[in-house]
Amino acid sequence: MQKNLPRPGYGLGLRSEYYQPILEQSPAVDWFEIISENYMVEGGKALFYLEAIAEQYPVVMHGVSLSIGGPHGLDFEYLRQLKKLAERVQPVWISDHLCWSRGNAHQLHDLLPLPYTEESLHYIAGRVRQVQDFLGRPLILENVSSYVRSSADEFTEWAFLDALTQLSGCELLLDVNNVYVSARNHGFDPWEFISSLPAEKIRQLHLAGHSDYGDYVIDTHDQPISDPVWALYQKTLERLGPVATLIERDDHYPPFETLMAELIKARQLGQQVVERKSLCA
Amino acid sequence: MRLNEWQLAFENYLLSDAVEAPSSWVTSLQGGPTLDVSGGLAIYHNAYRGRLLEALRGDYPALVYWVGDAEFEQWAVAYIRQCPSAHFSLRWFGAGFAGFLSGYLDQQQAAPLVEMATLEWAFTLAFDAPSRQPLTCEEMTALPASAWPDLQVELVPSAQWVECRFNTLMLWQAYKAGESFVPSEGIEAMEVCLIWRSGQVCQYRSLGVEEASALQGMNRGWSFAQLCSALEVTHEEGAALQAVTWFKDWLSLGFLNRRTL
Repeated sequence: MQKNLPRPGYGLGLRSEYYQPILEQSPAVDWFEIISENYMVEGGKALFYLEAIAEQYPVVMHGVSLSIGGPHGLDFEYLRQLKKLAERVQPVWISDHLCWSRGNAHQLHDLLPLPYTEESLHYIAGRVRQVQDFLGRPLILENVSSYVRSSADEFTEWAFLDALTQLSGCELLLDVNNVYVSARNHGFDPWEFISSLPAEKIRQLHLAGHSDYGDYVIDTHDQPISDPVWALYQKTLERLGPVATLIERDDHYPPFETLMAELIKARQLGQQVVERKSLCA
Repeated sequence: MRLNEWQLAFENYLLSDAVEAPSSWVTSLQGGPTLDVSGGLAIYHNAYRGRLLEALRGDYPALVYWVGDAEFEQWAVAYIRQCPSAHFSLRWFGAGFAGFLSGYLDQQQAAPLVEMATLEWAFTLAFDAPSRQPLTCEEMTALPASAWPDLQVELVPSAQWVECRFNTLMLWQAYKAGESFVPSEGIEAMEVCLIWRSGQVCQYRSLGVEEASALQGMNRGWSFAQLCSALEVTHEEGAALQAVTWFKDWLSLGFLNRRTL
């Protein structure tokens, strides 16, 4: 299969639980997204299956440890390993998160929120440019779910993302579920978030499930995609047109067919948008 | 508050045992209509510990099976406090757990548990070590007889060498089979558990002292002739036969590479 851009196209997160069904069934998935760090190893099962699957499908690399907003210097050993993996896998693009995951002294292994201030913006934009120079390609950054915000915020999250794309040249991975989770937790309108982003900078969408505790929502990636998130996705497609979309599942793994059903639903929603737009044209 | 100071306060909060954050920092945060700041922070605080604990449970399942969830969690929490993660990948977080246990537990209690932790970590290391095709019996058959005396081999890159002084391997096998643990006890003679990866699957083999010594000699650079000489001390005229027997066995198991100079 030609490794062209999956835009539009519908993908699944590649997880070890699904290696066998993917190779045995060659499912109608347009592309797979890997968690980069899971394959930054020297050998073994993960790399073996990745190489087999990458022969048949385009692959996108999605990292969780870049810590683009962290207080530490950029980790060039991490970036060297990331680049080495990219040379091996030839991903269509490389993404990570607008967050920090490493502190001054230790790895914190979480996608932590940032204050949306002028100081953060210029600090992060400079680091994004360094990473892009090192990797020789644009970086794609995802909005994260959050549970607290800095009271010093000078931007909304969506205005910050917009400004960051302009200052650094990065592109966006819009996680619709994360928008919904943060909107519920912080009390903003999720559609204001999505409709305010620069459409031409949105390279990819994520869809995932969350755990709803009534007063708050946690981004657990271990549940089916919820109805409100599907509705928000549909509205997003109507604004953007079909965009490369990925179904993410990171725990409580259902049978592969269940994830395929979510992918088929996303694809159908995308096709409906295309049909409506062609009728209106 | 500058970005760096704010992040330092956040990091200190995550690393601290207290779920309550210092009020001086809490004022720099805002919550939502139904999720207040302390509730939001607690989500991050719990997630930090939960994620590291889950990584350790994944790395040391036989140890969890052996001592139970509660005791394992107590050690894990102490490890998380004493040895915060230093690598960008959670895959490496558990690397120091055996060493930590040897200092954390009293010496008598620690020894068999440390041995189990070492054994489990060795499987983790073998699992994603570099791949290299092992030397095969067919390749050896094709070798001219004149090349045998100078033949040198080494262990494949995934090979891990664990010296056991307790019946740890038996306990680990009981865990894998879902059987009840037999009591942990010392064994008369030390045995080596050799772990390596064949294809994508980890394999192991228990080696007695003499075989382990022979294999270690080869791995350190002995030629086949030197192996035979070393075995003459105990096997006399049967030394070459013993060397060939072991060699064939090692080749069939697939953990040898031809040593390259």
